[in-house]
Amino acid sequence: MNKNRGLIDFLFRISGIAAALLFTSLVLLVARANPLEAFANIFMGVVSTPIKIADTIVAWVPLILTTCGLVIAFTAGLMNIGIEGQIMLGAIMTTGALRLLQDSGLPPAVIILAGFLAGVAGGVIWALLVGALKFYGGVSEIFAGLGLNFIATALSLWLIFGPWKRAGVASMSGTAPFDAALWLPMFQGFRLSPWSLSLAIISIVVVFILMKFTVVGLRLKAVGKNTRAAIQMGISPSKYMLLSFILCGVFAGLTGAVQVLGVYHRLIPSISSGYGFLGLLVAMLVDYQIIWAVPVALLFAALNIGGIQLPIMMKLDSTLSGVMQSSLVFFFLIMGGVRKKLQRKEEKPSNE
Amino acid sequence: MSIRKFFKVVLPLMVFALLLAACAPAAAAAEPAPAEEAAAEPAAEEAAPAEEAAAPEEFTFGILMVGVYNNKGWDQAHYDAGLYVEEQIPGTKMIYIDKVNSSDRPGTTAAQLAEELVAQGAKLVIFNSDDMKDSAIEFAAAHPEIYVIFSTGDTQWAEGANYQEFANMQNPMGRMEYGKMIAGCAAALTSETGKIGYLGPLINDETRRLTSAAYLGAKYCWEKYAAKDPADLTFEVNWIGFWFNIPGFTSDPSQVTDDFFNSGYDVVISGIDTTEALVEAKKFADGGQNVFAIPYDYMGACEQAPEVCLGVPYFNWGPAYKAAIQQAIDGSWTNGWSWNGPDWSDINNLDTSAVGFVKGDALSADNAAKLDEFIAELAGGLNLWTGPLNLQDGSAYLADGEVASDYQVWYLPQLLEGMKGLSSAAE
Amino acid sequence: MLIELIEIHKFFGSVHANNGITLTIEPGQILGVLGENGAGKSTLMKVLSGLICKDSGKILINHLEQELNSPSDALRLGIGMLHQDPHDFPSMTIREDLQIWDSRTGVKKSASDWQQLIAIQKDLGFHFDLNGTVGELTVGERQQLELVRLLWLGVEVLILDEPTTGISAAQQEVLFAALKKLAGQDKTIIFVSHKLEEVKELCSRAVVLRKGCLIGERQAPFNENDLVELMFGRQITRTRTSQSGTQDICMSVRNLSIEDFRIRIENVNFDLYAGEVIGLAGMEGSGQRQFLQTLAGLKQATGGRIEIDREDINGKNCFEFQKRGIFYVPSARMEEGLVPGMTLEEHYILSDCEKRMFINGKNSRMITETRIERFNIKGRAATNSEELSGGNQQRLLLSLLKDPARLLLLENPTRGLDIESANWIWSILRERCQAATSIIFSSADLDELTFYADRILVFFAGRISEPLPSSGLTEEKLGRMIGGKDWPK
Repeated sequence: MNKNRGLIDFLFRISGIAAALLFTSLVLLVARANPLEAFANIFMGVVSTPIKIADTIVAWVPLILTTCGLVIAFTAGLMNIGIEGQIMLGAIMTTGALRLLQDSGLPPAVIILAGFLAGVAGGVIWALLVGALKFYGGVSEIFAGLGLNFIATALSLWLIFGPWKRAGVASMSGTAPFDAALWLPMFQGFRLSPWSLSLAIISIVVVFILMKFTVVGLRLKAVGKNTRAAIQMGISPSKYMLLSFILCGVFAGLTGAVQVLGVYHRLIPSISSGYGFLGLLVAMLVDYQIIWAVPVALLFAALNIGGIQLPIMMKLDSTLSGVMQSSLVFFFLIMGGVRKKLQRKEEKPSNE
Repeated sequence: MSIRKFFKVVLPLMVFALLLAACAPAAAAAEPAPAEEAAAEPAAEEAAPAEEAAAPEEFTFGILMVGVYNNKGWDQAHYDAGLYVEEQIPGTKMIYIDKVNSSDRPGTTAAQLAEELVAQGAKLVIFNSDDMKDSAIEFAAAHPEIYVIFSTGDTQWAEGANYQEFANMQNPMGRMEYGKMIAGCAAALTSETGKIGYLGPLINDETRRLTSAAYLGAKYCWEKYAAKDPADLTFEVNWIGFWFNIPGFTSDPSQVTDDFFNSGYDVVISGIDTTEALVEAKKFADGGQNVFAIPYDYMGACEQAPEVCLGVPYFNWGPAYKAAIQQAIDGSWTNGWSWNGPDWSDINNLDTSAVGFVKGDALSADNAAKLDEFIAELAGGLNLWTGPLNLQDGSAYLADGEVASDYQVWYLPQLLEGMKGLSSAAE
Repeated sequence: MLIELIEIHKFFGSVHANNGITLTIEPGQILGVLGENGAGKSTLMKVLSGLICKDSGKILINHLEQELNSPSDALRLGIGMLHQDPHDFPSMTIREDLQIWDSRTGVKKSASDWQQLIAIQKDLGFHFDLNGTVGELTVGERQQLELVRLLWLGVEVLILDEPTTGISAAQQEVLFAALKKLAGQDKTIIFVSHKLEEVKELCSRAVVLRKGCLIGERQAPFNENDLVELMFGRQITRTRTSQSGTQDICMSVRNLSIEDFRIRIENVNFDLYAGEVIGLAGMEGSGQRQFLQTLAGLKQATGGRIEIDREDINGKNCFEFQKRGIFYVPSARMEEGLVPGMTLEEHYILSDCEKRMFINGKNSRMITETRIERFNIKGRAATNSEELSGGNQQRLLLSLLKDPARLLLLENPTRGLDIESANWIWSILRERCQAATSIIFSSADLDELTFYADRILVFFAGRISEPLPSSGLTEEKLGRMIGGKDWPK
């Protein structure tokens, strides 16, 4: 029975993916393009050269970092839509720290470290604001998060156009780039930094251990699945929800710091690159299992990077990767729902 | 068992549909009737190798465009220039990526996208926006074997303020100041309220000097041809924050234009890469108001609403790109900066003039004649960058009779006295 | 309108909520439906009002068989139900609220119909401003609003489910007068209640349900003792276990008052002795749940003291109560007590309150195995809690309770369990009492109350009796008190 169930689950998953592929193919057909060619181009755009593989990992790192945070938030039952704003605040704080220290004469390694710490602080502050609004203002974390996202965008724009502008310039293109000494060191000839890669791997391991082997992880899970039962077990839901906001903020802040220190080397208005929202999709797909986030985030990053080929090779809009990503989530969740419904239907008669 | 039933129905359906998806384009291509573009393109590609015998070598160049390639503005001007080069130099082939900005392509940088073009065979890459400055420099330094054209930049101007030598880089720019002066003149000749709005993009050296040029042209024609009191002329610029609208990040250019028209301005000159000003002007004109707009960048920009278009100052990148690419092919490439003016014998000669102005349908015959006179004056050597001119804060820019150098114009530090609007970002 | 219910059956899972009920209701009658909680009254009424579908049986209206698949089906046929919780929209004005219901039932009302509405209102002696908001009304007024709304929509058969809960005596008087008037107009009124007094006052006929079956009916005038016996039935008497309490005071409750939107309990005083078992008797919704939750720190009392070792802990949060050894076991096991999607082992790890950081897999597996064995739970360490049967869920919940504990607050601890499981659970609980743990539990089962409790508090419409020693209490007397009789004025 159990084995059978595993197979059925697997079949449903596969059919979710197949349905997403199918849907994207139909979209491509409507756009008068050959789906197979498009998929092949996306695939080649990811694996054909070492640089492309590295670029995919560059996109994978911030995506996995946000997913790490979101898995924790989801586990505690929190829909942390505010993750985008938390990434931005992380990036803003990192930029602030670097601007403050860049002429101080401190060794670059120290300044970079300070940048990371400031980024983490920024992410945590913004996440705690969401938590405070939820617990003291009675505002759902979804609306609080959305609102704070807007504020974070406005704040970064104000900084870029105002206090942190380039001399004589007011442009959305961002602040002046930092000195190359303050960039995260990269693999020779690649845009990928061993430091950000290690950070991502360490984060996965930390979250995996937290969720699987610690009492705190189990308590977060209890709070997320049944708040009232958690209270009976002596677990304070508000305490643990705040904790999960903080942890999520830490990872969001790290994401922002990596974007500034390792990718853009300056603050730009869209510094989060939408990884927060993409991370929400990944977290929804992996269903609390951080291990699954590794391949899923890789797939999403690959779609982002491989999608660049579409306009070059086929004159197609690269937003098609976005269509694929969201249809994957959509069909996956739909299939999950269908599965549950059918299984319930089957179990019912057996009960009586 | 309902699950089994579900799969019995769904799985074959999917397999069938996937097969259909895979086969459909092939079937469509096999059909002779539909004249698909896709079918035409491979044919053209096949033709290229045949030409190889005649042309010594195929040369692929890539363009990175900050906006959408067919936006009837800045990016389309570059795209058309690429087509022009393909046509003029046999064996050349254009590839491009558009929407190269961090909002439209999150997680990527222009340098990374330039590498994609190189991977597709590009031996020369054009960065078409000031926004890509950092990436252009990074890429040029990292890929000395690839020729780089960084349009609008000044990094290869030896006398410029930002000189940074890269042997593989060139900076072409059109002297759009003339185009803007003509636009300003057309606006001043047409305006009845004497209030001219300028829809500004972001603030930098380039946009300050272009906006100021439009003001100089407007002021000159207001006094000389319309014979009106300079005190009655209002010229205001409103910056949106970027070259085009990015919802959530920039001000909405449509909204900014509407605000101009709603507060008595009857001509809006666009300084942004897209055509919102024209579209909004048409809306107001349809509503019975007597308003006009002057788009920017692209020769065909007026087409969207000819009845309210006074004309368009445009860039013609074709000649500059043709020359640079020819140099790259010949091996005669040298790095440098060029500020290319109009061909005064015919500013609309696409083979020779780097900037031009196409008069719009909304410009009256009378005013068109006056505008021609003004153009003739400019051709005859009229230089409006002549003192006395003060900066916006009242400090002296040019003494009486002093003529501005290229350096002074290029790096105009503020807007000019008499203009309303911000010279630099608000603190 | 003549209604005939024939052989109505309804199952909820394995519970047979309505077991072959056949009943004829004539127009112009006020029919009382009596029965203890879980007897199947509400289910039957919901079937008749289209809110739930019967599994088998027939409903004839004026001799025609009808299928009632939704409340709007029922409304179209002229059957309307007044629910315990008002089905209205507190943020709307009364006019808007009425209009919403209009469009839902598809009956188009024109502006002139508002006059008709006002006429109905006047006729029944109600007053409310159509432009006021629903939220400003009292529970009684909201009920009146619903009543008027149903009549306005042309209802011929009115079903009222415990309508007097939460309304004032004056409002009750108005309501009863209105109902009598409506019966005089040949409407059919079905009045569901557990309050004998009300049924006696209002109804011309009463039927009694017990365990899903219709077990009898009486015509007015009614004999109270007769009705009590019908409702609760004769039960097998068991010999009582001896008094288990000691003389050490475990908790003192002084002048405690509890309030929520429906129930107001005032001035509760009693001492709980260590090792004592106190039972809470009363109809569901009489305040037992609020009382238990207040003693568990889950609900704020509006006044009074809860003293433990001379310290007043009223006003502290539930975790402070837990620290002092007071634990609550809710009756909704899956909703409030257990975590769905978590295994038994995970439950034990959580409740073990380990201060350590990492889960000790070996240790927790051992604990899990021993508890599963000791509490006789039919499940394995890796079984998810929601996969257990109801009885096993209850065992799991009890096995999670910390030991030692000062006070266990159990809400309907044996509801839905078979006799064997219930006995077993009580044997475990009794053991805890030997270790000086006190227990307060609520139950609808009079037998369970008199059998296991040392003293009993009876709840009726917000009133709480003195603690009555169960040894001097017969089931009959208890039944009368639950029904609101024999209370000191």
